[in-house]
Amino acid sequence: MSTPALHAAGLSVPGRLDAVSLDLGPGELVAMVGPNGAGKSTLIQALAGLLPAHGAIHWNGQSLSHIPAAERGRRLAWVGQEAHFEFAFPVREVVAQGRYAWGDDPTGVAEALAELDLTFLADRPATRLSGGERHRVALARALATQAPIQLWDEPVAQLDVRHALEVMRLARRRADGGGTVLVSLHDLRAAYRFDRVLVLDRGRLVGNGGPHEVLTADLIRQVFRVEATFVESLVPELPQD
Amino acid sequence: MRTRLAIPILVTLLVMAFLASLAFGELRLSFSQVVAALGGGSDDIARTVVRDFRLPRALVGMAAGAALGASGVVMQAFFRNPLASPGLLGVSSGGALGAVAVLALGPMLGFASATLWALPAASVLGAFGATGAVLMLAQRGADTERLLLSGVALNALLGAGTSFLLTTTVGHFEVNAQILFWLMGGLESRSWEHVWMGVPAILAGCLLLLPLGRAMDLLSLGEHSAQSLGVDVRRLRRQLIALSTVLTALATATAGVIGFVGLVVPHILRLAFGPAHRRLLPHSMLGGAAFLLACDLVTRTFPIGLRLGVVTALVGGPFFLWLLRRPR
Repeated sequence: MSTPALHAAGLSVPGRLDAVSLDLGPGELVAMVGPNGAGKSTLIQALAGLLPAHGAIHWNGQSLSHIPAAERGRRLAWVGQEAHFEFAFPVREVVAQGRYAWGDDPTGVAEALAELDLTFLADRPATRLSGGERHRVALARALATQAPIQLWDEPVAQLDVRHALEVMRLARRRADGGGTVLVSLHDLRAAYRFDRVLVLDRGRLVGNGGPHEVLTADLIRQVFRVEATFVESLVPELPQD
Repeated sequence: MRTRLAIPILVTLLVMAFLASLAFGELRLSFSQVVAALGGGSDDIARTVVRDFRLPRALVGMAAGAALGASGVVMQAFFRNPLASPGLLGVSSGGALGAVAVLALGPMLGFASATLWALPAASVLGAFGATGAVLMLAQRGADTERLLLSGVALNALLGAGTSFLLTTTVGHFEVNAQILFWLMGGLESRSWEHVWMGVPAILAGCLLLLPLGRAMDLLSLGEHSAQSLGVDVRRLRRQLIALSTVLTALATATAGVIGFVGLVVPHILRLAFGPAHRRLLPHSMLGGAAFLLACDLVTRTFPIGLRLGVVTALVGGPFFLWLLRRPR
């Protein structure tokens, strides 16, 4: 196997994460599911190098502690669950912050705005946006970094169905282009569209594999304490264009 | 474009305030007399008044205003809170306690004559002590709330120390009056020694701050996001806290305790010319300098002896309340 884009071994954060080991390869689109408090956000932040954690983290085979700050910004983008902007920067300037690690060259900013349907909001202060719009701004900023590894913490929780599907399509395109995309989710049905699913429960990784092998009725009962049955149902899709 | 007018507007305001503070006072001078006196001409009295009294006073005021304005911007970006200001961390209180300790205990220990330098030294020391204490208290995790609450607690503690020293000196009227005057801030009888003591260091601090503006933009929208976008957040935070502490301490050392400049000035300039720190930093330095000179002019214009700190508080207090009531 080629060098994993993201490698973690024995990753622990006291009280929150218990010896999680995983490898994510280039070109993989990976979903992470788990009940509230399972440690999804903690794992994403630890992988992004934003939290002090025990254990080893490597990006493209290089130990995280050896990667300087600016280089980190070029290699990995993180989108948090909360998107708050305290100061009234225009949307375009917030997205352009994604280019900080590239010396603020504006490559890809306009595209990122367009990809998240923000072009018409580009001049509006980021303080005057709805929750879903703020999330799209944070995602656009992450895309503007053009970092090959993208870690998104519940990116679609606040989005309407159309924008949620568009975000999923963007994630898929990133992976198809050789990137590594890890997305945490609450919608188990959406997880079936991913290449791989990680299941986190009380800080431990209890499932790691293809969605149909991992998300079995048994595991779902054990982790989420709900009964799961497979039935035909409404499946919204983006129109083919 | 409005932002492009910012520097010309602020420089004009500053020059106007500067010339006015050289011209106004007990001896009213015309602008041509001021210019002549600066150049070494004019009569002896005008020259002495302008060059030995009003010029150092104006320079100290400008430097203190610029330092407080810049400190405010830094605190607001650091705490991601537009309501933060230099007083918040307890830095001003630390500086005040240091200086008051010198004023109160100096005569007892017999170095009253050395207070011109002992006072700022103690003030800077006190300010750093306070900042160090806040950062230590808030070290674990060091999130914004914890830092702010540490500042609140420290402010109360240091304030109690200052009050204690103030009450123990009640018997020594002169010392007591000196402390009170200093606690209310003011630019009276600033000499060239005060200028050399504060202005070059403040200028250096301001210059060191300017290149950090872009990284401050990112920090002001979130620590984690800034770090993930390539900012060395720990280093940036250290630089910001050190520079803003030095700037606040030097302003406090040279001009006494002056509140609200760091709150009012950046706020108005952010509303007028935008939040980008590369511009907001120089804008707030210029604006803070002009604002403090203008407030000093008010203290000179009213015959009842308004103190500088009182004037800035009279402007800043209501402004702060207005900000709190305003929907964010």
